[in-house]
Amino acid sequence: MHEKSLVQSLLKQVEAIMREHHAVSVQAVTVEIGPLSGVESLLVEDAFSELLLNSQIGRPSLNIQAVDLTIRCRDCEQASSSPGLTLKCQLCGSNKVQITHGDEFRLMDVSLQIPAESENSVT
Amino acid sequence: MNTVDTVSKTVVINRDVLSEKKRRAAELRQQFTERGILVVNLVSSPGSGKTSLLEATAKCWQGQHKMAVLVGDLATERDAERLRPLVPVEQLTTGGACHLELSLVEKGLAKLPLDDVEFLFIENIGNLVCPASHDLAEHLRVSVLSTTEGDDKPGKYPKMYRTSDALVITKTDLLPYVPFSTEDAIADARTIQPELSAFELCSLTGDGVSQWCDFLVQARRRTVCIPAA
Ligand SMILES: [Zn+2]
Repeated sequence: MHEKSLVQSLLKQVEAIMREHHAVSVQAVTVEIGPLSGVESLLVEDAFSELLLNSQIGRPSLNIQAVDLTIRCRDCEQASSSPGLTLKCQLCGSNKVQITHGDEFRLMDVSLQIPAESENSVT
Repeated sequence: MNTVDTVSKTVVINRDVLSEKKRRAAELRQQFTERGILVVNLVSSPGSGKTSLLEATAKCWQGQHKMAVLVGDLATERDAERLRPLVPVEQLTTGGACHLELSLVEKGLAKLPLDDVEFLFIENIGNLVCPASHDLAEHLRVSVLSTTEGDDKPGKYPKMYRTSDALVITKTDLLPYVPFSTEDAIADARTIQPELSAFELCSLTGDGVSQWCDFLVQARRRTVCIPAA
Protein backbone atom coordinates (compact mmCIF):
# COMPACT_ATOMS: atom_id res chain seq x y z
CA MET A 1 0.00 0.00 0.00
CA HIS A 2 2.17 2.87 -1.27
CA GLU A 3 -0.72 5.01 -2.54
CA LYS A 4 -0.42 7.21 0.54
CA SER A 5 3.12 8.27 -0.31
CA LEU A 6 2.15 8.83 -3.95
CA VAL A 7 -0.84 10.97 -2.97
CA GLN A 8 1.45 12.93 -0.65
CA SER A 9 3.60 13.79 -3.69
CA LEU A 10 0.45 14.67 -5.62
CA LEU A 11 -0.83 17.04 -2.94
CA LYS A 12 2.55 18.75 -2.68
CA GLN A 13 2.35 19.56 -6.38
CA VAL A 14 -1.23 20.78 -6.09
CA GLU A 15 -0.20 23.04 -3.19
CA ALA A 16 2.64 24.48 -5.26
CA ILE A 17 0.29 25.15 -8.20
CA MET A 18 -2.18 26.80 -5.85
CA ARG A 19 0.52 29.14 -4.47
CA GLU A 20 1.84 29.91 -7.93
CA HIS A 21 -1.60 31.07 -9.07
CA HIS A 22 -2.51 32.78 -5.77
CA ALA A 23 -5.64 30.65 -5.66
CA VAL A 24 -8.02 30.81 -2.73
CA SER A 25 -9.12 27.21 -3.14
CA VAL A 26 -8.83 24.12 -5.28
CA GLN A 27 -12.05 22.82 -6.78
CA ALA A 28 -10.95 19.70 -8.54
CA VAL A 29 -7.88 17.61 -9.26
CA THR A 30 -7.76 15.30 -12.26
CA VAL A 31 -5.33 12.40 -12.48
CA GLU A 32 -4.73 9.67 -15.00
CA ILE A 33 -4.08 6.13 -13.76
CA GLY A 34 -2.95 3.39 -16.10
CA PRO A 35 -3.73 -0.31 -15.57
CA LEU A 36 0.01 -1.08 -15.32
CA SER A 37 0.82 1.79 -12.98
CA GLY A 38 0.90 -0.33 -9.85
CA VAL A 39 -1.51 2.19 -8.36
CA GLU A 40 -4.99 1.22 -7.22
CA SER A 41 -7.67 3.89 -7.86
CA LEU A 42 -9.75 3.04 -4.78
CA LEU A 43 -6.72 3.32 -2.52
CA VAL A 44 -5.78 6.62 -4.16
CA GLU A 45 -9.26 7.95 -3.37
CA ASP A 46 -8.99 6.80 0.26
CA ALA A 47 -5.54 8.33 0.67
CA PHE A 48 -6.69 11.55 -0.98
CA SER A 49 -9.60 12.11 1.41
CA GLU A 50 -7.47 11.18 4.40
CA LEU A 51 -4.49 13.40 3.51
CA LEU A 52 -6.66 16.38 2.56
CA LEU A 53 -7.48 16.80 6.24
CA ASN A 54 -3.89 17.93 6.86
CA SER A 55 -3.43 20.03 3.76
CA GLN A 56 -4.06 23.66 2.88
CA ILE A 57 -5.94 23.08 -0.34
CA GLY A 58 -9.54 22.88 0.83
CA ARG A 59 -11.82 20.02 -0.21
CA PRO A 60 -11.42 19.51 -3.94
CA SER A 61 -12.99 16.60 -5.76
CA LEU A 62 -10.70 14.00 -7.28
CA ASN A 63 -11.38 12.89 -10.86
CA ILE A 64 -9.66 9.71 -11.85
CA GLN A 65 -9.37 9.03 -15.57
CA ALA A 66 -8.66 5.45 -16.52
CA VAL A 67 -6.25 4.97 -19.43
CA ASP A 68 -6.12 2.08 -21.85
CA LEU A 69 -2.93 0.14 -22.21
CA THR A 70 -1.40 0.95 -25.56
CA ILE A 71 1.83 -0.44 -26.95
CA ARG A 72 4.14 0.11 -29.85
CA CYS A 73 5.74 -2.88 -31.55
CA ARG A 74 9.50 -2.79 -32.10
CA ASP A 75 9.23 -5.39 -34.87
CA CYS A 76 6.42 -4.07 -37.10
CA GLU A 77 6.51 -0.55 -35.64
CA GLN A 78 2.72 -0.41 -35.33
CA ALA A 79 0.78 0.85 -32.37
CA SER A 80 -2.03 -1.18 -30.88
CA SER A 81 -4.11 -1.25 -27.75
CA SER A 82 -3.68 -4.22 -25.55
CA PRO A 83 -6.75 -6.02 -24.18
CA GLY A 84 -6.38 -7.89 -20.91
CA LEU A 85 -2.99 -6.35 -20.18
CA THR A 86 -1.13 -8.70 -22.47
CA LEU A 87 2.09 -7.19 -23.67
CA LYS A 88 1.99 -8.60 -27.17
CA CYS A 89 1.65 -6.84 -30.51
CA GLN A 90 -1.96 -7.30 -31.69
CA LEU A 91 -0.83 -7.11 -35.33
CA CYS A 92 2.19 -9.39 -35.64
CA GLY A 93 2.25 -11.18 -32.31
CA SER A 94 5.74 -10.01 -31.33
CA ASN A 95 6.41 -9.42 -27.65
CA LYS A 96 9.09 -6.83 -28.32
CA VAL A 97 6.80 -4.01 -27.42
CA GLN A 98 7.12 -0.71 -25.73
CA ILE A 99 4.38 0.62 -23.48
CA THR A 100 3.25 3.98 -24.81
CA HIS A 101 0.33 4.43 -22.40
CA GLY A 102 -0.92 2.58 -19.39
CA ASP A 103 1.85 2.61 -16.81
CA GLU A 104 1.37 6.18 -15.71
CA PHE A 105 0.08 8.00 -12.68
CA ARG A 106 -0.14 11.58 -13.93
CA LEU A 107 -1.50 14.85 -12.63
CA MET A 108 -3.54 16.11 -15.58
CA ASP A 109 -5.13 19.35 -14.44
CA VAL A 110 -6.18 21.36 -11.43
CA SER A 111 -9.28 23.60 -11.20
CA LEU A 112 -8.67 26.64 -9.02
CA GLN A 113 -10.71 29.48 -7.63
CA ILE A 114 -8.62 32.61 -8.04
CA PRO A 115 -9.37 36.22 -7.06
CA ALA A 116 -11.01 38.00 -10.03
CA GLU A 117 -8.52 40.86 -10.07
CA SER A 118 -5.50 38.55 -10.33
CA GLU A 119 -6.99 36.65 -13.27
CA ASN A 120 -4.79 38.38 -15.81
CA SER A 121 -1.72 38.86 -13.65
CA VAL A 122 -0.61 35.23 -13.76
CA THR A 123 0.32 33.59 -16.98
CA MET B 1 -17.61 39.02 6.01
CA ASN B 2 -14.90 40.00 3.62
CA THR B 3 -15.71 38.22 0.37
CA VAL B 4 -13.44 38.28 -2.66
CA ASP B 5 -14.76 37.89 -6.17
CA THR B 6 -13.28 34.76 -7.57
CA VAL B 7 -13.22 33.09 -10.94
CA SER B 8 -12.58 29.48 -11.86
CA LYS B 9 -9.48 28.59 -13.74
CA THR B 10 -8.27 25.20 -14.89
CA VAL B 11 -4.52 24.77 -15.06
CA VAL B 12 -3.33 21.99 -17.35
CA ILE B 13 -0.36 20.15 -15.87
CA ASN B 14 -0.02 16.72 -17.52
CA ARG B 15 2.97 15.63 -15.46
CA ASP B 16 4.02 12.39 -13.80
CA VAL B 17 3.07 12.53 -10.12
CA LEU B 18 6.53 11.27 -9.25
CA SER B 19 8.37 13.56 -11.67
CA GLU B 20 10.14 15.49 -8.92
CA LYS B 21 11.28 12.30 -7.18
CA LYS B 22 12.37 10.84 -10.50
CA ARG B 23 14.39 13.96 -11.25
CA ARG B 24 16.15 13.69 -7.87
CA ALA B 25 16.80 10.00 -8.48
CA ALA B 26 18.30 10.75 -11.90
CA GLU B 27 20.58 13.37 -10.35
CA LEU B 28 21.79 10.99 -7.67
CA ARG B 29 22.29 8.22 -10.24
CA GLN B 30 24.50 10.58 -12.24
CA GLN B 31 26.61 11.19 -9.13
CA PHE B 32 27.03 7.43 -8.65
CA THR B 33 27.96 7.04 -12.32
CA GLU B 34 30.67 9.68 -11.97
CA ARG B 35 32.03 8.10 -8.77
CA GLY B 36 32.27 4.70 -10.46
CA ILE B 37 29.63 3.05 -8.27
CA LEU B 38 27.12 0.69 -9.86
CA VAL B 39 23.87 0.75 -7.89
CA VAL B 40 21.74 -2.40 -7.85
CA ASN B 41 18.18 -2.43 -6.44
CA LEU B 42 17.15 -5.95 -5.38
CA VAL B 43 13.39 -6.52 -5.35
CA SER B 44 11.41 -9.66 -4.50
CA SER B 45 8.73 -11.14 -2.28
CA PRO B 46 9.70 -11.89 1.33
CA GLY B 47 11.94 -14.91 1.79
CA SER B 48 13.24 -15.15 -1.77
CA GLY B 49 16.85 -15.12 -0.55
CA LYS B 50 18.05 -11.56 -1.17
CA THR B 51 20.28 -11.53 1.92
CA SER B 52 21.76 -14.94 1.07
CA LEU B 53 22.41 -13.73 -2.47
CA LEU B 54 24.29 -10.72 -1.09
CA GLU B 55 26.30 -12.96 1.26
CA ALA B 56 27.21 -15.23 -1.63
CA THR B 57 28.14 -12.22 -3.79
CA ALA B 58 30.38 -10.79 -1.06
CA LYS B 59 32.13 -14.15 -0.62
CA CYS B 60 32.63 -14.52 -4.36
CA TRP B 61 34.28 -11.09 -4.55
CA GLN B 62 36.36 -11.22 -1.38
CA GLY B 63 39.51 -9.20 -2.05
CA GLN B 64 38.52 -8.46 -5.66
CA HIS B 65 35.61 -6.02 -5.65
CA LYS B 66 34.30 -3.73 -2.98
CA MET B 67 30.61 -3.59 -2.23
CA ALA B 68 28.34 -1.96 0.31
CA VAL B 69 24.70 -2.65 1.14
CA LEU B 70 21.69 -0.62 2.18
CA VAL B 71 19.23 -3.02 3.77
CA GLY B 72 15.57 -2.07 3.87
CA ASP B 73 13.63 -3.76 6.60
CA LEU B 74 10.20 -3.25 8.09
CA ALA B 75 11.37 -3.28 11.68
CA THR B 76 14.30 -5.53 12.52
CA GLU B 77 18.07 -5.36 11.99
CA ARG B 78 18.39 -9.09 11.28
CA ASP B 79 19.37 -8.95 7.62
CA ALA B 80 21.88 -6.17 8.28
CA GLU B 81 23.46 -8.19 11.10
CA ARG B 82 23.98 -11.16 8.78
CA LEU B 83 25.84 -9.03 6.25
CA ARG B 84 27.84 -6.84 8.63
CA PRO B 85 30.77 -9.25 9.12
CA LEU B 86 31.29 -9.28 5.34
CA VAL B 87 30.68 -5.78 3.99
CA PRO B 88 29.76 -2.24 5.09
CA VAL B 89 26.02 -2.23 5.76
CA GLU B 90 23.53 0.44 6.69
CA GLN B 91 20.04 -0.41 7.84
CA LEU B 92 16.98 1.49 6.60
CA THR B 93 13.96 0.80 8.77
CA THR B 94 10.67 1.80 7.19
CA GLY B 95 8.54 1.35 10.28
CA GLY B 96 6.17 -0.92 8.39
CA ALA B 97 6.07 0.86 5.03
CA CYS B 98 5.89 -1.42 2.03
CA HIS B 99 8.70 0.08 -0.05
CA LEU B 100 11.87 2.14 0.20
CA GLU B 101 11.83 5.80 -0.75
CA LEU B 102 14.66 7.84 -2.14
CA SER B 103 14.81 10.02 0.98
CA LEU B 104 15.51 6.95 3.13
CA VAL B 105 18.22 5.85 0.72
CA GLU B 106 19.84 9.30 0.86
CA LYS B 107 19.84 9.18 4.65
CA GLY B 108 21.50 5.76 4.66
CA LEU B 109 24.10 6.79 2.09
CA ALA B 110 25.45 9.49 4.36
CA LYS B 111 26.55 6.78 6.80
CA LEU B 112 28.28 4.47 4.32
CA PRO B 113 31.99 4.67 3.47
CA LEU B 114 31.41 5.08 -0.27
CA ASP B 115 34.85 6.31 -1.26
CA ASP B 116 36.19 3.07 -2.60
CA VAL B 117 32.97 1.17 -3.14
CA GLU B 118 32.41 -0.24 -6.63
CA PHE B 119 28.97 -1.78 -6.10
CA LEU B 120 26.16 -0.51 -3.92
CA PHE B 121 23.28 -2.91 -3.36
CA ILE B 122 19.91 -1.78 -2.11
CA GLU B 123 18.00 -4.66 -0.55
CA ASN B 124 14.42 -3.48 -0.97
CA ILE B 125 11.43 -4.49 1.17
CA GLY B 126 9.92 -7.87 0.30
CA ASN B 127 7.03 -6.75 -1.91
CA LEU B 128 6.51 -7.07 -5.65
CA VAL B 129 4.05 -4.23 -6.10
CA CYS B 130 4.95 -0.97 -4.36
CA PRO B 131 8.76 -0.88 -4.95
CA ALA B 132 8.08 -1.06 -8.70
CA SER B 133 6.94 2.57 -8.77
CA HIS B 134 9.93 4.02 -6.92
CA ASP B 135 13.20 4.91 -8.58
CA LEU B 136 15.94 4.66 -5.95
CA ALA B 137 18.69 5.99 -8.23
CA GLU B 138 19.68 2.48 -9.21
CA HIS B 139 21.41 1.54 -12.47
CA LEU B 140 20.01 -1.97 -12.39
CA ARG B 141 16.79 -3.31 -10.96
CA VAL B 142 17.05 -7.01 -10.24
CA SER B 143 14.09 -9.25 -9.40
CA VAL B 144 14.94 -12.19 -7.17
CA LEU B 145 12.63 -15.20 -7.46
CA SER B 146 13.10 -18.42 -5.49
CA THR B 147 12.18 -21.86 -6.71
CA THR B 148 9.80 -22.25 -3.76
CA GLU B 149 7.55 -19.60 -5.30
CA GLY B 150 5.36 -20.06 -8.38
CA ASP B 151 7.05 -19.94 -11.79
CA ASP B 152 4.04 -17.87 -12.95
CA LYS B 153 4.97 -14.98 -10.69
CA PRO B 154 6.29 -12.69 -13.45
CA GLY B 155 2.88 -12.63 -15.14
CA LYS B 156 1.20 -11.77 -11.86
CA TYR B 157 3.41 -8.77 -11.14
CA PRO B 158 3.87 -7.25 -14.60
CA LYS B 159 5.03 -3.82 -13.53
CA MET B 160 7.83 -5.18 -11.37
CA TYR B 161 9.20 -7.44 -14.09
CA ARG B 162 8.59 -4.83 -16.74
CA THR B 163 10.89 -2.42 -14.91
CA SER B 164 13.56 -5.02 -14.05
CA ASP B 165 16.83 -5.45 -15.90
CA ALA B 166 17.62 -8.90 -14.60
CA LEU B 167 15.98 -11.90 -12.98
CA VAL B 168 17.85 -14.07 -10.49
CA ILE B 169 16.29 -17.44 -9.71
CA THR B 170 17.54 -18.61 -6.31
CA LYS B 171 17.46 -21.88 -4.34
CA THR B 172 18.07 -24.02 -7.43
CA ASP B 173 19.25 -26.83 -5.10
CA LEU B 174 15.55 -27.35 -4.31
CA LEU B 175 14.53 -27.87 -7.95
CA PRO B 176 14.24 -31.67 -7.59
CA TYR B 177 11.69 -31.21 -4.82
CA VAL B 178 9.50 -28.34 -6.01
CA PRO B 179 7.14 -27.93 -8.99
CA PHE B 180 9.08 -25.04 -10.51
CA SER B 181 10.31 -24.70 -14.08
CA THR B 182 13.13 -22.19 -14.47
CA GLU B 183 12.49 -22.17 -18.23
CA ASP B 184 8.81 -21.30 -17.76
CA ALA B 185 9.62 -18.59 -15.23
CA ILE B 186 12.20 -16.98 -17.53
CA ALA B 187 9.92 -17.28 -20.57
CA ASP B 188 7.02 -15.78 -18.61
CA ALA B 189 9.18 -12.86 -17.50
CA ARG B 190 10.46 -12.28 -21.03
CA THR B 191 6.95 -11.95 -22.44
CA ILE B 192 6.80 -8.86 -20.24
CA GLN B 193 10.41 -7.70 -20.55
CA PRO B 194 12.10 -9.28 -23.60
CA GLU B 195 15.54 -7.87 -22.73
CA LEU B 196 15.69 -9.35 -19.24
CA SER B 197 18.99 -11.03 -18.29
CA ALA B 198 18.38 -14.23 -16.35
CA PHE B 199 20.47 -16.21 -13.84
CA GLU B 200 19.90 -19.42 -11.96
CA LEU B 201 21.88 -19.97 -8.81
CA CYS B 202 22.13 -21.43 -5.34
CA SER B 203 23.59 -19.07 -2.75
CA LEU B 204 24.13 -21.96 -0.32
CA THR B 205 26.30 -24.13 -2.57
CA GLY B 206 27.63 -21.27 -4.70
CA ASP B 207 26.37 -22.87 -7.93
CA GLY B 208 25.90 -20.20 -10.58
CA VAL B 209 27.04 -17.36 -8.32
CA SER B 210 30.13 -16.52 -10.38
CA GLN B 211 28.04 -15.95 -13.56
CA TRP B 212 25.90 -13.48 -11.64
CA CYS B 213 29.01 -11.75 -10.27
CA ASP B 214 30.56 -11.56 -13.76
CA PHE B 215 27.36 -10.00 -15.08
CA LEU B 216 27.59 -7.27 -12.44
CA VAL B 217 31.26 -6.58 -13.23
CA GLN B 218 30.43 -6.29 -16.95
CA ALA B 219 27.43 -4.08 -16.21
CA ARG B 220 29.64 -1.80 -14.11
CA ARG B 221 32.19 -1.53 -16.94
CA ARG B 222 29.45 -0.57 -19.39
CA THR B 223 27.56 1.80 -17.15
CA VAL B 224 29.75 3.88 -14.87
CA CYS B 225 32.88 6.00 -15.29
CA ILE B 226 35.77 3.90 -14.10
CA PRO B 227 38.81 5.95 -13.10
CA ALA B 228 42.06 4.92 -14.81
CA ALA B 229 44.20 2.85 -12.44
ZN1 LIG C 1 4.10 -6.00 -34.38
